[in-house]
Amino acid sequence: MQNTYIPIPMKVDKVVTEDPEKTLRTYDLSFVKNSDLEQFQYLPGQFCEMSLLGMGESPFGIASSPTEEGFLRFTINRTGLVTNEIHNLRQGDTVGLRGPLGNWYPVEDFKGENVVIVGGGFAFTTLRSLLIYLLAHRENYGEITIIYGARNPDLFIYKDELETWLKRTDMKLHLTIDKPVDGWKHDTGFVPAVTEQLAPSAEKAWVVVCGPPVMIKYTLPVLEKLKFPDDRIITSLERRMKCGIGKCGRCNIGSQYVCIDGPVFSLEFLKTIPEAL
Amino acid sequence: MVKALREEVKRLFEEKKVDLVIGWGKGSIPMTATPIFIRKAEDAEHLIWDETCSNNLAVYLTKDKRQLVKTNQKIGIVVKGCDGRSLVLYAVENQIKRENLVIIGVPCSGVIDKKKVLKQTAGKEVISARFEENRMTVEGRGFKTEIEKSEVLSHSCRNCNHPNAPVYDIFIGEPVKTESVGDVYPEVEAFEKLDSEARWKDMVESYSKCIRCYACRNVCPSCYCTECFVDQNDPQWIGKSPEITDTLIFHLGRNLHVAGRCVECGACERACPADIDLLKLNRKISKEILERFNFTAGLDINEKPAMASFCENEKQDFIMG
Amino acid sequence: MIKIEKSNFVTFIRSLSAEYNLFAPTGEGRQSAFREVKDIKQINSQIQITHNSPKTVFLPQTEILFEFKGDDIQSVQKATKPMFFWGVRSCDARGLNLLDKVMGQSKQRPDDPAFQDPYWKARFDDAIILTLACNEPASTCFCNWTGGNPFSKEAGDLWAVETETAYLIEPISEKGKDFIKKLSGYHTASEKDEQKIKALKKQAESCLQPAVDTKTLKEKLPKIWDDPLWDEVSAKCVNCSACAFICPTCYCFDIQDEGKKGKGKRIRTWDCCMFPIFTKEASGHNPRSLARERVRQRVMHKFNYFWETYGESLCTGCGRCIRVCPVNLDIRDVAKQLLETASAA
Repeated sequence: MQNTYIPIPMKVDKVVTEDPEKTLRTYDLSFVKNSDLEQFQYLPGQFCEMSLLGMGESPFGIASSPTEEGFLRFTINRTGLVTNEIHNLRQGDTVGLRGPLGNWYPVEDFKGENVVIVGGGFAFTTLRSLLIYLLAHRENYGEITIIYGARNPDLFIYKDELETWLKRTDMKLHLTIDKPVDGWKHDTGFVPAVTEQLAPSAEKAWVVVCGPPVMIKYTLPVLEKLKFPDDRIITSLERRMKCGIGKCGRCNIGSQYVCIDGPVFSLEFLKTIPEAL
Repeated sequence: MVKALREEVKRLFEEKKVDLVIGWGKGSIPMTATPIFIRKAEDAEHLIWDETCSNNLAVYLTKDKRQLVKTNQKIGIVVKGCDGRSLVLYAVENQIKRENLVIIGVPCSGVIDKKKVLKQTAGKEVISARFEENRMTVEGRGFKTEIEKSEVLSHSCRNCNHPNAPVYDIFIGEPVKTESVGDVYPEVEAFEKLDSEARWKDMVESYSKCIRCYACRNVCPSCYCTECFVDQNDPQWIGKSPEITDTLIFHLGRNLHVAGRCVECGACERACPADIDLLKLNRKISKEILERFNFTAGLDINEKPAMASFCENEKQDFIMG
Repeated sequence: MIKIEKSNFVTFIRSLSAEYNLFAPTGEGRQSAFREVKDIKQINSQIQITHNSPKTVFLPQTEILFEFKGDDIQSVQKATKPMFFWGVRSCDARGLNLLDKVMGQSKQRPDDPAFQDPYWKARFDDAIILTLACNEPASTCFCNWTGGNPFSKEAGDLWAVETETAYLIEPISEKGKDFIKKLSGYHTASEKDEQKIKALKKQAESCLQPAVDTKTLKEKLPKIWDDPLWDEVSAKCVNCSACAFICPTCYCFDIQDEGKKGKGKRIRTWDCCMFPIFTKEASGHNPRSLARERVRQRVMHKFNYFWETYGESLCTGCGRCIRVCPVNLDIRDVAKQLLETASAA
């Protein structure tokens, strides 16, 4: 019988420290067993439970896109016991993984339409997955607009890739930081304010929002003002999770389990769950 | 007596001396009282006072319940002797403002332990119960029995020397007179006669039944830490499953944390869904503290707690031999 | 419907031992539970309902998910004989079916074995549950409030009723039918027996309090989400987990690693939404930091959320929480209060 509680072994191929404070590290993992690699099918928006035997598990959004073969990418913020231990992992170490878990961004629904992506801080992980996926199937999608904000220039993740995306002509990337910093060439201002200024068109468009709760709280009204209908505003919820397969009840909100009914939800749906917002 | 209690509480509301009164009301099942929160005079009619009023209501002044009590609200609280000792403990430990409390003492001759009643009825369900001076009459489907109250008194009440609240603003009726025999601990003495190995066996046997529901900790008025050591995860002191070593660390740890602070109200034992004799070790510790430091928790509002103060002439035999 | 005379009961029980591990109500008072029995003397047939529900066998309080040594993971699952459960009350049989909907199946990913709990399935799928009708429901029983009945045949594989001299048994499920086919040497129940059953059922139903229909809470509860009533209802709750642990349908669990990085095990153990730290996140944010939010969560889960997802009440009306709550928070009173407030809203 299949046992989804048992993690599969992964090897750490690459570690990139994203910020000078060393709170954010990106790990590229590859599959130890070929059979696991073959079985692992996922879409942008899904997450995995990373498992350190003896310490515990933590859920992380998959930052790589299924179109990038052979590895899975995760960016981990060092904040507690397990994440502290993960930060001690080095190239060549093994780590356990359970997944793919959860649901995914409705990329099928996005086809033929414009996609606006609004992200904050290190919640950009699954948004990277989404962006790479869209770019790999570029002809299927209309205009791609990204608004990505961080507290300061150090706290952006995937800085190398941001540089290449800024140069592309088939998408528009806007970077913004909270407060002015010398030498910063891009926008300044909180994400909700910058989104309002840039005023992406809601016509034939979907918007995906991911970020810290306070950013989402103030961005949603802006999107409504810009006339994005509730069922086209997509977000990814975060809750404390354990089993990841809708059994243990930890992530339960209303009748939904964030780990299996979500974490991707439309605003329209979230408005029907009193505890969600 | 109940009438007098209700009248007093009504008067307190009418004279605007309280914003909230915490007392006992009739429970939804036989032989059970339940905590009630009264915010207006007419609700005082719901108050009861009898041998089923076992909850220690002081617990509603601290922990998560702090938000029940908005700052500077005047709170009336009905207390037996042991509950009243908890209030003294709170005053000593700066958990409450004495001037915001209206302490209503009631004369207590012991509360019953429902589990003991069920032993007397061979497990048959009791549908109704009536209390008289020294007896209670219980009825169920196809039976009616008279039981001596002394047989079914809660463990904590059997040798109680402090039936009256040590500090109060109002006392309903007359305080209970006790023949002062000093504090006695017969079951603890039996435990003390066991050697080390037998004691360990006894503890393992008792606490193996524990399911770690934490009802004991949560009903205990002395346990008011906002973060209990068992809930910490950095560092994690014990595992979450009811593995006997972890369970023993929880109980022994908790007993040591309430050492010199336990008022022996028995709320822990009565709350336990697994029928563990929880009060035994607490009383062992209370006995030690009485012998070593001549201190009993919750009696004197001006006395510093034994475990929080040092006196030069204390017994040092454990160091000096 | 077959009839097993009580004098023949020992033979019947013994006949099960070749193929099944027999589980039945054992123990007394608060130690009563479903345990494996090797001898008929261990069965406590006087008990109306066990203090601990059959959940303790199918979803044990602590369970080892796997053991590990270095990076090597070892499964601990062992094949055993299927279990035969004698003497399960209809509320508990229903409870097991409800648990199966969450653990053994997945509403969100039907037919995907990746989302089925293998530990649960190993125990439940092959087990035979014999639902024993309640001749004398307790005063705390309220199965009729949640769509149940002391003589209900809705759940279980076999159904039985106890008369003065015999047990009358009939099959409910396919598994039950196969089981009965294999039995031989027992009489069939007579017309007189059928009459007896009708009389016993009537008597049992008369023991229950008049039903309050909790189904309507499904629509009504969302209307009073923010009502101050929740403060009143939750005021005396001390946030222990006695109710959830004793409940036959509460299934929340925690997963913890025990041991050190070299060697140890990953276990799951019961957890409870009433604990203040249940929803506390690594950032320190706690979506349910207030007692009113947690009590509301538990009530909503039983009487609204589960209806939304599965079309049934998660509360089976067994009454255990009422008996065990240290502050006498009676879910029946809560349901009545909520219905009153919601109807007025």
